[in-house]
Amino acid sequence: MVKIKYLLIGLVMVIIGIVVAITLFPSEEKRVKKQFHLLSEWVSKSTEENAFTMLQRMKDIGSLFDAQCELKVPDQSLSGTYTREEISTYAGSARSHASQLDLKFYDFDIGFPEKGMAKVTLTARLTGRSTTGEQTDDTRELECVLKKIENKWLFSQIEVVEVLKK
Amino acid sequence: MTVHHKIRKFFFPSLTPKFLIRVSLIALSAYLFFGYLCIPFTIQGISMEPTYHNRGVNFCWRLRYLFSEPKRHDVVTVRFAGNKVMLLKRVVAREGEQVEFRDGKLFVDGKEIEEPYVLYPCDWNLPPRQVEEDHIYVVGDNRNMPIENHHFGQTTKNRIMGVPLW
Repeated sequence: MVKIKYLLIGLVMVIIGIVVAITLFPSEEKRVKKQFHLLSEWVSKSTEENAFTMLQRMKDIGSLFDAQCELKVPDQSLSGTYTREEISTYAGSARSHASQLDLKFYDFDIGFPEKGMAKVTLTARLTGRSTTGEQTDDTRELECVLKKIENKWLFSQIEVVEVLKK
Repeated sequence: MTVHHKIRKFFFPSLTPKFLIRVSLIALSAYLFFGYLCIPFTIQGISMEPTYHNRGVNFCWRLRYLFSEPKRHDVVTVRFAGNKVMLLKRVVAREGEQVEFRDGKLFVDGKEIEEPYVLYPCDWNLPPRQVEEDHIYVVGDNRNMPIENHHFGQTTKNRIMGVPLW
């Protein structure tokens, strides 16, 4: 009985140790995913957002990108290499046309083709309402490349995959 | 055994190894069945109205095209990066066929196609285009919207996940 008690205590301690280790030292995959969660959080917008928060979000969004990021979004005529500041300004302008936004990512497929580089394929869904009251609901498959710069994963390429070709 | 005992045994079974194995097997089967073979989904959007309504619940049956190919008029689910978000569309043409819309009417290889499921008025015009090899052409049933706002076109067959159960 005493043996079982010690065994259980040992088991609980091992589990706690594993949880602590995972929390303190997240895997590279988790760190990459976290960047997407931050992007989702910062692009999303509630109806109560004030001007100060909006400016802060613009700056935050920019901080997730590499100094130069390649975008391939044919629908929005966004194709080429953009600076962090340009992306930040574009995001701010796009957000200002919406009264409410919700960006969510699904079905992550994360690979590391080379050291310091992550290639992620996922589904992005943007829902919301424009300032004129129009409903927005757009889903796209994205292929993203993130580079590890100064121990931080930054977006260096985002491409929209054409699922349906008219 | 009295009815009372039977009810009690049903709701509060004794945790015997046999019972735990049975529960684990049921949970595993349910996970595999509903996670990979018969995936539950909620319809969001009006692109398949009036055949399928917004917020309707359905299941995607993945084995439908195990030994056959999608046919014209079949309703299929098209995946993005994974199966968390899918499109529900109708097949209107197969590889090698030529698709076009004239004043809202569908023409395949120059012949008008009867579409009893399209009940709302449509005025689309789309010049003829060839469905590429290993692709199928899918469109929603609700074409009562500008052609630019409807998500349709050709997609690779490997993106077809299955069919809705009803």
